[in-house]
Amino acid sequence: MPDPILQITDLKKHFHVRRGFPNPKTVIVRALDEISFTVRKGTAFGLVGESGCGKSTAGRCLLRLIEPDSGSVVFDGVPVLNADTTTMRALRRRMQIVFQDPYSSLNPRKRIGAALAEPLLVHGMANRAEARERVRDLLAEVGMPKEAADRFPHEFSGGQRQRIGIARALALGPDLVVADEPVSGLDVSIQSQILLLLKRLKDTHHLSFVFISHDLGVIRYFCQEMAVMYLGRIVEIGPIPDVFEEPLHPYTRTLRDASPVPDPTSKSIFTKIEGEVPSAVKPPSGCHFHPRCPHAMPVCREVYPRWTAIDARRGVACHLFDDEHGGRDPAP
Amino acid sequence: MARRPANGQAPAQFALDVRGLTTSFYVGGKWFPAVRDVSFALKRHETLALVGESGCGKSMTAMSIMGLVPKDAGRVKAEAILFEGQDLARASEAKMREVRGDGISMVFQEPMTSLNPVLTIGFQVSEALRHHRGLSRRDAAARALHILDQVKIPSAKSRFNDYPHQFSGGMRQRVMIAMALACQPKILLADEPTTALDVTIQAQILELLRELKRETGMAMIFITHNLGVVAELADRVAVMYAGQIVEIAEVAELFARPTHPYTEALLRSIPRSDRDTAELYTIPGQVPPITRMPPGCKFADRCAYRLDRCQAEEQQLAPLAKAPAHAVRCWRRTEETQPEMVVVDA
Ligand SMILES: Nc1ncnc2c1ncn2[C@@H]1O[C@H](COP(=O)(O)OP(=O)(O)OP(=O)(O)O)[C@@H](O)[C@H]1O
Ligand SMILES: Nc1ncnc2c1ncn2[C@@H]1O[C@H](COP(=O)(O)OP(=O)(O)OP(=O)(O)O)[C@@H](O)[C@H]1O
Ligand code: SF4
Ligand SMILES: [Mg+2]
Ligand SMILES: [Mg+2]
Repeated sequence: MPDPILQITDLKKHFHVRRGFPNPKTVIVRALDEISFTVRKGTAFGLVGESGCGKSTAGRCLLRLIEPDSGSVVFDGVPVLNADTTTMRALRRRMQIVFQDPYSSLNPRKRIGAALAEPLLVHGMANRAEARERVRDLLAEVGMPKEAADRFPHEFSGGQRQRIGIARALALGPDLVVADEPVSGLDVSIQSQILLLLKRLKDTHHLSFVFISHDLGVIRYFCQEMAVMYLGRIVEIGPIPDVFEEPLHPYTRTLRDASPVPDPTSKSIFTKIEGEVPSAVKPPSGCHFHPRCPHAMPVCREVYPRWTAIDARRGVACHLFDDEHGGRDPAP
Repeated sequence: MARRPANGQAPAQFALDVRGLTTSFYVGGKWFPAVRDVSFALKRHETLALVGESGCGKSMTAMSIMGLVPKDAGRVKAEAILFEGQDLARASEAKMREVRGDGISMVFQEPMTSLNPVLTIGFQVSEALRHHRGLSRRDAAARALHILDQVKIPSAKSRFNDYPHQFSGGMRQRVMIAMALACQPKILLADEPTTALDVTIQAQILELLRELKRETGMAMIFITHNLGVVAELADRVAVMYAGQIVEIAEVAELFARPTHPYTEALLRSIPRSDRDTAELYTIPGQVPPITRMPPGCKFADRCAYRLDRCQAEEQQLAPLAKAPAHAVRCWRRTEETQPEMVVVDA
């Protein structure tokens, strides 16, 4: 098992928002409730879950693009959350992010070449001439012609923009990349091009990834380990083939069974999926999944299940696996 | 494809018969086809999936059938679009309005843009009924409530006077389906109705559509770019590329023997959640824009099986010798007397 490069412990972020009309009240959105996971060197760790479960908040908090409320993030032995400005500057070079829509993060009036050179100049890693050369290499590396440097973001298709977003994340030679839905919204043929590119870069640069996606197929292809999130919490963690072959948490199973596969001979069992994802403002008592869970027991309504470690890499938060309550026998 | 009489009425087993549909747009002073010579027949009670990547003409095919292509920008031509003994390609606007309310309904991807934010859900569904069915206010409300129950809006009665923003995305999509079903259409055109939804909610909506189809017997054209959803729902599948149908077959046949090189490549490019994908296939390049369509096969520059002939001559959608209900638009695959079987990730 490779050494850890990133260790997240009890990371928490609640948003205070004013909501309601005509009498707005402050409500607390529990976007992230004490999640913990470890990313190992040179591997990709997948975060999967439905809209609003806190995936992006997790990615942003661990990079301190937004400040978490509490918890700890240790990157290659260095505590991130209380790092001073100089340490943080050095850390930023080594930890980068790729967004779902790089267009929104690219300045529309800036040519691609300038956008890619900027971080190099800001971090004093190159002079202008060196930066120009490095930009050409970066573009080549992500499969873009060098002429792209002279053009503007709007001149590119979705897939090309994602290549540019990836080039920008690579500019400073990072060790870890947080990829937040990097292929969502792309057509299948473009999606596979970007996935292959990311995989090649992962291998050639020995990159580690926190890879966020709502698509189980993409997670299974790209990642080695994964965590399933539900309403701000991690409900299951494990190595990739294991979680897919034998999901432990009832929500993981629901998610897997609801994901359509391109095979008409294996139609999924749809009828059993109850209800919708509740609001992160008022998560259900006890296990947040209990209103939708086919195995819910009385205790599930009362107590949030504690974390049960199955082995060094596998764990689940579900009373069915906590010896004190359910024993270990979830009916499939 | 079974041959149909070239003229006259659609044979009774067809709910809809589209022949030679071409829809063009005026771009920079010239007309360019976005849908070209599309023909298919929808059987009664059948679910036909139109599948393909962004911009391949799925929505415009549906909009053309509905007579909803904006007249200032687009031009629709068809040999015939036969529905219930009428040729919609030649129908008046008044007639089309009647068909849209009563015969063919459509559900769109983004429910928020088709719901009026300042009117209650109950009012909007009732209005559709009053307008098309001439029901009294009270009868329309009663029927609307019944339909909202039918699409499984939990406690529909107490939510009847809620506004769209008080509903989740999945619930809004149920409302859209309720409105589409309000007048008991013969055909439902569903344009990516689940694309914006989470998978567990998508699963619920697909199950709902399946159930409603069983109950009402309506036929459905389901538009999607997701081949997983196609496998779940469709009876027959038409794969579109660059405005054309490149392959059409029964769903089991299509997935067992994807024959057009594009279909084959697409299936191998999907990372799957049900098995390990050691090697993900990828299709180089991208779809040409409608303003720069090459002659001959539109897929040729991305195709691994290209022959010289492919880029020179236009292909026909031709049935396979061994499976006449399976048609493919490809020189190579329809000419090979002994088509090599394509194995997708055995
Ligand atoms: N800046 C913010 N202010 C208030 N609430 C927020 C903010 N950012 C996120 N949230 C809320 O926090 C929760 C988690 O959001 P987050 O964006 O992390 O989810 P996600 O898993 O990335 O979802 P998606 O798949 O839709 O991207 C949601 O309920 C969201 O509305
Ligand atoms: N008003 C218009 N003017 C010019 N071109 C148009 C217009 N409307 C559509 N097109 C073009 O017609 C083609 C087909 O569009 P259509 O919306 O049918 O694609 P689609 O298959 O539904 O794609 P998507 O999956 O993105 O919804 C596209 O190339 C599009 O750019
Ligand atoms: S803890 Fe209970 S409700 Fe939650 S997933 Fe497990 S069995 Fe279901
Ligand atoms: Mg997100
Ligand atoms: Mg469309």
